[in-house]
Amino acid sequence: MFVPSITNPVGDFVREWVPKLAEYLPASIQSDTLNSIVAFLINAVICVIAVCLVNIGSAPILIYMERKVCAHVQCRLGPMRLGWHGTIQTIADVLKMLFKEVYAPAGVDKFVFFLAPLVVLIAPFMVAALIPFGENLVVADIDMGIPLIIAINGFGVLAILLGGWSSNNKYSLLGALRSGAQMISYEISFALVLLFVVMVAGSTNLMAITQTQSGTVFDWWIFKAPVLGFIAFIMFFITSTAEMNRAPFDIAEAEQELTGGYHTEYNGTPFAMFYLAEYIALVTNSSLAVTCFLGGFHAPCIGIAAVDGILTMVPGVVWFFAKVFFMIWCYMMVRWTFVRPRVDQLMSFEWKFLLPLNLLLLVAGAAYVALVG
Amino acid sequence: MLTSLSNLAAAFPMNGIDIAFYVVAFVMVVTAILTVAVKNILQSAVFLIFSFVGTTILYLLLHAEFNALAQIMVYIGGVVIFVIFTILLTSHLGEDAFTTKIPRFFAAFVLSIAFVVVMVKCVLPVPELLTATATAPEGFASLKAMALRLLSYGPEGFVIPFEVISILLLATLIGAITIARRGKEEK
Repeated sequence: MFVPSITNPVGDFVREWVPKLAEYLPASIQSDTLNSIVAFLINAVICVIAVCLVNIGSAPILIYMERKVCAHVQCRLGPMRLGWHGTIQTIADVLKMLFKEVYAPAGVDKFVFFLAPLVVLIAPFMVAALIPFGENLVVADIDMGIPLIIAINGFGVLAILLGGWSSNNKYSLLGALRSGAQMISYEISFALVLLFVVMVAGSTNLMAITQTQSGTVFDWWIFKAPVLGFIAFIMFFITSTAEMNRAPFDIAEAEQELTGGYHTEYNGTPFAMFYLAEYIALVTNSSLAVTCFLGGFHAPCIGIAAVDGILTMVPGVVWFFAKVFFMIWCYMMVRWTFVRPRVDQLMSFEWKFLLPLNLLLLVAGAAYVALVG
Repeated sequence: MLTSLSNLAAAFPMNGIDIAFYVVAFVMVVTAILTVAVKNILQSAVFLIFSFVGTTILYLLLHAEFNALAQIMVYIGGVVIFVIFTILLTSHLGEDAFTTKIPRFFAAFVLSIAFVVVMVKCVLPVPELLTATATAPEGFASLKAMALRLLSYGPEGFVIPFEVISILLLATLIGAITIARRGKEEK
């Protein structure tokens, strides 16, 4: 009987140990099939817990962090009263949101209205499963990593369009259409920057891309491909900000113009799901930037043996999350520093500047691979 | 009766892949029927997405990973989004019920029956449909093997069709830009 197996190092470890533990069972119920099924189920549960832990666990931290960063940028203190420096405030807000009554306004298409928050979570969760968090910590170590990320991002646009239309509200529909146009446009640049990374790294597997950056800081793709890597990193930063609909590219929500955009009519848990998807997208996009440009889980070695010895003692997953939170901090600083462009400025920036620059970057990357790599 | 049932069980070896296939096929058929049966046209588009996701899973079960991704990219990320855009930009299309006239219904009925007959005629004569094993080498449909086949010059390669298609795509792209630009100048 065929039983699917999860091919990652943790999965191998479980597959190795389940038969050893199964020897303590009565002989009559021992069988290889049972062992492989049990090992598969244990692995599946571990994978689900890992993805949920990273995604749902990081959301409250990010909300607290965003409030604090925002407050300090604006010379305020932010939440201070509930718990030490307002740490419990986020938990209180999450609880409030979860216990709110869920209802749909009159005249909405209920099926689509409640489907949209479910669809919006597909992309961030699937991308999180592909990211190598450490040398042995990757849920799905597949060859199709980057094409899958590019493909799966379409679900985000879909959810926003469906949610905005089904709300039966002109602000929501306007926000949804704006954001649909924006995300479809910026998806092209996003995919092309990732293709640049694929080209210089020679693989679409995120684990293999990370492995090509082992060594010192200067082996990370941001520095390894001279100048090109840095340009590609900046372009990835811009396009991923637009992909996530974060300010300064948040014309989908634009509180001052659209009262919140596509999720104006949502409340309670469905709204929490849209909110959660935004913050998970922040984590996954930062992880993607770290994996593709900043060396993934490799320590930032500088080529001096004594310093590198200390730096490599820290486990890779710690370095990974340190880099991810640095990236998130950058996204937040950008959000609270820059002003929002107009819709037409945003579109002409993508089609007249970013896309031609991206094509040039691809050609330059091909020249780099042909001459140096 | 019992022997025929056991024969049937032997004819349909039920392992994980088979069970997955039947579940996915059932979901696909149900969502495909809902796509044409639902009154609201936007809900039809939503069920069409589910049907496409089912096709993707079928490709994955056949180990054709790149086809599965292309299915998501082209159909869900491209076609369905543009269908939804069209519905959203067309006023009141999504709000009213969508009906067809009776002669069209009969034509559709005849066409679908004809399609089923042709499919059965084509599929049933294939020998060893259930017992045949896959003959493609390991990783035949993987991204790397597929890319190498697409761009190789040898008798196995497809470099000329690939280039012809890319020129066609470039021509359509330039055509689309030209049409859009002319509209702007007239305004």
